[in-house]
Parts: sequence; structure tokens; C-alpha cells
Amino acid sequence: MYALKSVVSALAAGLIAFYIGLGFAVVMRYSFGYTAWNTEMCISIAWVFGVLGWLLGIGMWGNWVREWIGLDTYGRKAPGWQRYFTFNHDHKVIGIQYLVTFAVVFLLAGLLAMLIRVQLTQPTGGIFSNSQYNAVMTMHGIMMISVAVAAVIGGFGNYAVPLLIGADDMAFPRLNALSYWLIPPVALTLLATPLLGGLDHGWTAYPPLSSAYTSSAQVLFDLAIITFGLTSIVSALNFLVTIIYMRAPGMTWGRLPIFVWSMFVTAWLALLYTQGFAVALLMVLLDRVAGMSFFEAKTGGDPLLYQHIFWFYSHPAVYIMVVPGLGLTLEVIAHFSRKPLFAYRYAVGGLLGILGLSGVVWAHHMFTSGMPNYLHAPILVTTELISIPTGLIFLSALGTIWMGKLWLRTPMLFALAVIFNFACGGVTGIFLADVPTDIHLHDTYFVVAHFHYTIVGGEIFALFAGIYYWFPKMTGRMYNERLARIHFWWMFIGFNLTFFTMHWPGIQGMNRRIAEYPDVLQPVNIAVSVAAFAMGASFLVFVYNMLNSWIRGPVAEANPWDARTLEWQVTSPPPIENFPTPPVIKGHPYDYGVPGSVHATFPSLGGSPAGGGGGGGGGGQ
Amino acid sequence: MRPHFVTASIIWVLLTAVGEALVFTDLLPVAGSAEAKDFDWIFRFLLILGIPVFTFVIATVGYAMYNFGNSTKPTEDGPAMHGTGMFPKAWLAVTGGLTLLVMVFPGLTGLAQLQRDARGYGWGGETPEMIVRVVGQQWYWQVEYPDANVTIVGQDKEMVLPVDTAIRFEATAKDTIHSLWIPAFRMRIDALPGRTTYMVVKPTQTGEYATDEAYRFQCSQLCGLDHAKMRMTVKVVSKAAFSEWLASQQKTGQ
Repeated sequence: MYALKSVVSALAAGLIAFYIGLGFAVVMRYSFGYTAWNTEMCISIAWVFGVLGWLLGIGMWGNWVREWIGLDTYGRKAPGWQRYFTFNHDHKVIGIQYLVTFAVVFLLAGLLAMLIRVQLTQPTGGIFSNSQYNAVMTMHGIMMISVAVAAVIGGFGNYAVPLLIGADDMAFPRLNALSYWLIPPVALTLLATPLLGGLDHGWTAYPPLSSAYTSSAQVLFDLAIITFGLTSIVSALNFLVTIIYMRAPGMTWGRLPIFVWSMFVTAWLALLYTQGFAVALLMVLLDRVAGMSFFEAKTGGDPLLYQHIFWFYSHPAVYIMVVPGLGLTLEVIAHFSRKPLFAYRYAVGGLLGILGLSGVVWAHHMFTSGMPNYLHAPILVTTELISIPTGLIFLSALGTIWMGKLWLRTPMLFALAVIFNFACGGVTGIFLADVPTDIHLHDTYFVVAHFHYTIVGGEIFALFAGIYYWFPKMTGRMYNERLARIHFWWMFIGFNLTFFTMHWPGIQGMNRRIAEYPDVLQPVNIAVSVAAFAMGASFLVFVYNMLNSWIRGPVAEANPWDARTLEWQVTSPPPIENFPTPPVIKGHPYDYGVPGSVHATFPSLGGSPAGGGGGGGGGGQ
Repeated sequence: MRPHFVTASIIWVLLTAVGEALVFTDLLPVAGSAEAKDFDWIFRFLLILGIPVFTFVIATVGYAMYNFGNSTKPTEDGPAMHGTGMFPKAWLAVTGGLTLLVMVFPGLTGLAQLQRDARGYGWGGETPEMIVRVVGQQWYWQVEYPDANVTIVGQDKEMVLPVDTAIRFEATAKDTIHSLWIPAFRMRIDALPGRTTYMVVKPTQTGEYATDEAYRFQCSQLCGLDHAKMRMTVKVVSKAAFSEWLASQQKTGQ
């Protein structure tokens, strides 16, 4: 089988290169007079070899590297589903690769969350030892962070952006494939951490804990996450060039679909700030393997330095997660309200405002960190300011649904849930942005509840809105609406019961990342756990619906939602070159209810208008 | 348009009234210090402001779903409202005004009360009358009363403090970053290797862990294996009782 051959040979190439790297490291150490074996250093060096071997094996050799030495390239043209296991350049294939991969990571990390909630049904002596709990909590954190960073961007960004702007692919298709194929080694490396003693420093990996007081598995964490950052940077660059240079004629900035705007902002954020995380972890890695002392106070380092660099990325990172979610939400809301996107320019302004402010708010994660006092006031001010551009997103969403003809299909329900959840997350955010209240609430379950409301409630709900919205386009088949609605209400109620309740133990004095807690908080923790199990079970419905519909769902129409944007004007799934004839953009994508308005035409087909005109929603029935 | 607007507003007001009831429920743990009392009213103030914002969204989304929602495909488009008139400007003014309000009051004003020294590393609202030095290490606290030359070390030991005394905790750490947190006092500061951070707390009532678990001195920055166990119980006693306790500690210590 072709798919198996492709992946197995790449794994073999990776393993062989890994052992060559190990040998190289040992020989080099020995010849420079050190003891031949040093676990962390040898593994770090071998790991780089291994990843390169994997990449060459999966298709970079044939598709790319041969060119550098003057040979002809060749691509493997695998048929049907097997193309998902090759170094395929098609943005639609890559989008689906991302989505399926991160759906699997999401379900695994969700399972870990269930285990955490089992542990926390008891104040002491749950199912885990402290070290197991720390490992499970860390893995849940970093896996979910990676889902949040990559699922919407990598999945829908890749799949939908070229279609929405009328391009035939991304600007750099091979770079795009590279960004995806870097992810399997990252995932495998994280999953391998228990072999070297497990992680116990949380996803934030603060030194000196991570640099000096934890197991050797920490180097795997650094290597994996630095590489993961590389995929973000590479794909951000690709998105920027694609959006700037590949728009169809007439697709002006003022006509750009709002999801594309959100991806543009996200790509800038990822390109500008991801280095921060990579550098912070590189410094931890160097502290560990190269005897540096960036974070060790005894030898002249400063433990707080890490937090500044780390949050300089990781606060923009929450916008990298949430901004495409908000863009997707507005996109879905406009089409399913059958109204122009309300205050489109203000919404774009809001996204750009977030882009501008997100780089100067990082230290609000450090209000109680012991940083110098003069930093608190300016960071408090910039942090509070961010609620103004975010408010414009709400203006646009609420203005669009008001007086609309709302079609309450599953994508719309998820999009409306985003507005609801993100409002709650926004309000609780004020308590954490104001220093006087943050001092008590910092590092408690109040914070855990807050960021689950913003990231899960704001982004993951949008991810599901996108999955249901584009499922017919991606697979060519329709999902089961009844099961989808059951999934929505089940997940929505379970989510709110879990995380709304979770604010309370935080206020009462339950801090994060603890395997044990005071007895008085047991009843509320049991309540949270039960609600969390209910929420977790809702994904069984989702998985069943997706698998079943993908294999034997009814064949989808080209435009089941009667939406105006370009991707719905081609067949489901779209042809490999996206548009049989290049589109020309004539008007705004959201001009529902505007008589005679046309979004795009396909001139070589005789200029037949596409994207629904004044005929309204009835036309597609 | 007017009836929709009016009905939705009434729903908003009703929801807000229900929501604001939350402010008067017993949400917070015991307020054992002057700082805790400040925290509590600021927390409630922000809640009073935040609830109408949340209920505005609930009322709008809920009303729109109920009144404008269709389970089958709508047969016509909605009105072409582009939102280019005065409404977005008014929205900007209101959200900007609210933001400025919470930024200045209670944000910056509250911060000014907590910080006396722009170049220091911590919270100090009052002039301290007593110093307690704290050293964190994996996974226990060492608490020293320098004036009395008394030191307490270990997990689940008891830290005794006098009531109505402004106490300045000076914190540092030996290995990783730890964090001092006493929920009953609503105060927290990280303890870092190579730096001395501080927080001033003035307990205003007696209390102890045995009757209220908010009286505990908990590490709240992940510090490895036994992070959850890194805590001490706290007991706030009268000044006289505190002096007696210090004296008894000096005897057993010698």
C-alpha cells in the first residue's frame, strides 16, 4: 500500500538518521576529550538529524532537495485517501491533514483532561502520584496549546484562504507541505517524553524548574516546541505572501472576506512573535546541554528573563489562537444571518487593533511574578485597552444577527456560542487585567476557567463551527444535522457547566496545577468533574457523525448554505486547481439583501454571475 | 424595529437584575486582612460593571435566535444594514468609556495604593511594623521572625501572625520559583532565586486553618513534584498571644 510505504520509509529514514546523529555526537564528544555519552546533548543532536531524515524520507528529497543538486524532482501521485500520507502540495489536502491530525491530538488531550478531573474528585490520594499528575497536566496543556495554535490556522487557513481569495493554491506549496510534515515528529517527540522521565513543568516550562530541576525529558519538550514554532513561522510567511499577492482580480482589501482578514492578522502575529517562544526554549535547552546560565541566579542569570521572553510570544499566541476563531465566527454569522457583515470596516479595525496592541501586554501574566513595580501600570493600561478592539468584533457579530434571517444550522449555533462564551471570557478577563484583583486570582482555577472560556469557548467552538460549515465542501458529503445539533447542545451545556462552576473554587482559594487541594472544595470539584465528563462524552457523537458521514453521508451540493463566497461557487469538493476558470471579483462578499449585487464572475464561462445576487436565499432551494 | 429594540432591552434589564444578585452572594472566602477587604469591594465593583456587559450579549443573541431564527432555509435575505452610521461610533464611545473607567478606577487607583516604591519588587500599602522572612525551596517553606530570632521550617507547620499589625513578608527562593499566597489575605508574590520580593499584609481579625482553610500559606507557582504539598497552616492571634507564642518558640528553639 502506497500510504503505508510512504510513512514507514520516512520513519525508517528518520530513525536511521537519528542513530547516525547519535554516533556523530558520541564521536565528536570523545574526540574533544569529553565523556562520550551525555544523554541530553547526544539526544538533542541526534534529534535534529532524525527530523531531517524524516523530512527527506517523507518527500522532501524527491520533491525538493533533488532540485538543489541539479536533478529532476518527482512527486508521488498517490490516489484517493492515500494522498493524505504523502508530501502533497495541494492546500486542500494539507488543510485536511492538519484538521484530522489535530482532531486526533485534541481527543487525546481531552482524554488527559478527563483523567485530571478523575484525580480531582478527591482532595488527596486520587488515581495519580504527584509526578504522574504533573506529567498528565503538562501533556494536556501543551497538546491543547498546539491544537489551539494549529487547528484553525493550519486546517481552515490552508483549506479556505486560497479558495476565499480566488487563488489556485498557496504562494509556496512545498513550504506548506513542509510545515505540515514537521508536525508528526513533534507529536511523536512529545509522546516519547515519558521514556526520559516525563515532564513536570507545565506547558509554560518556567526555569529554573525546567532548566535545572526536572528530568531529561525536558530537552525533548524544547526540541519539539522549537520545531513546532518553526512550522508556525513558515506557514505565517506563506499566508502573508498568499494574501498579499495571490488575490483574484478585483479582490481588494475592502472586499476581503473577514476570515481572510483574521488570518492575515494572525499570520503577522505568528511571524513577529513566535521567535520569542523558540528563543526562550532554546535558552533553556542551552542552559541544560551547553552549561549556559541564562536563568540560574547563583551564576549570574535571571529566572524572570525567561518569563518576559516567553510571554512576549505567548500572549500574542492567545490572539494567534482566538483571532482566526473570531474571523471564522463572523464569516459564519454573516452567511447564516443573510445580512451584510455589520460594520465590516470596524471589525477589520478591531482585528488590526488587536494586532497592534498584542505585543505590548505580555507582562500582565507576570503581575505577581516579582517584576519591577514600574512595569505594572503601563501593562495594566495596554491590557485594558485591548477590550476596545475586541468590543468591535462583538459590535459586528451582534449587529449582523440583529434583524437578520437567521438560519440556525449547526455552524451558526457554534458561531453564536462563540459570541456567548467569549463575552463571559472577556468579562472575567477584566478581573485579571486589573492588578488589585489579579493578585488574588492569579494562578488559581479562576484563571483556568477564564482561559478555557476564551480559548475553548472562543476558538474551539469556532473550530467546530468551521468543521460543520466546510465539511460538505471538504468531503463532498453532508453530515447528519440531527447528530450535529445533539453534539452542539451537549457540548455547549457541558462546557458551561464545567467552566462557569470552575471560577468558584478559584475565588475560594484553589490554585492551579495541584494534585491535592483543601477538603472543603471537594463538592464543587466533584460537580466540575461530572460536568467535564458530560462534556467529554459529547465528542463521541461528533466522532461518530464525522466518520459515518464522511464514508456514507449523502452527497453534498456545491453550495448547501447558499453562501456568496468563492469556495461555494465550485463543486464539492473543489477541483484540484480550485477554479476551472479564474474568478473576477465584482463586489463585496457579504452583500446579502443588496439588490443586484454580485460577488464574483467567472468570465471565461461567459460571465455568468456567481455568489448569489439580489435573488436572495430562496434561489438555491 | 422599535418594538424589537424595546423588548430586547427589557429582557436585558431583567437578566441584569438576576445577574447582579450574584454580587450579594457569599462568593468570597473570609476577608482576614485590610488588603482582602480592598480586594473584595473591587471584585464586587467589577462584577457589578461586568454583569450587564455579559447579559447584553446574552439578551441580544437569545432574542435574535428566538425571534429571527429559522430551522429551515430562510426564503429571503435580511435588511442590508451595513453599520456605517452613528451606531458603531456610539459603540466605540461606550466601550472606550467603560474601559477607561475600569482602567483608572479601580485599576490604577488600586495599584497606586498597593505600590509605594516604583523600583521595588512587590506590594506594600502600609508602613510595616514587623518583618517575616520567607525562603521557599522544594517543597517546603522556611519562615523566619528576625526580630525574635525564631525560624519555622517544614511542610504543614504552622505560621503564627499577630492581628492588627502590618507585616512585611520578604521572600526569596533557593532553587526554583515559588509563590507566597494566603487566600484569606488575598495577597500573593512570587519568591525568586536571587531577588527579594515583598508584600505587606495587615491581618484584621483572628482566624486559623483549623476552622477556615483559606488560612493557609500555599505555594502557588508550579515548583515540581510536591508543589501541591508545599504549604503551611496560618493562625492569626491577638498581639499578646503572639508574643507568648514567640517566647515559647524561642525556648524550644534553644
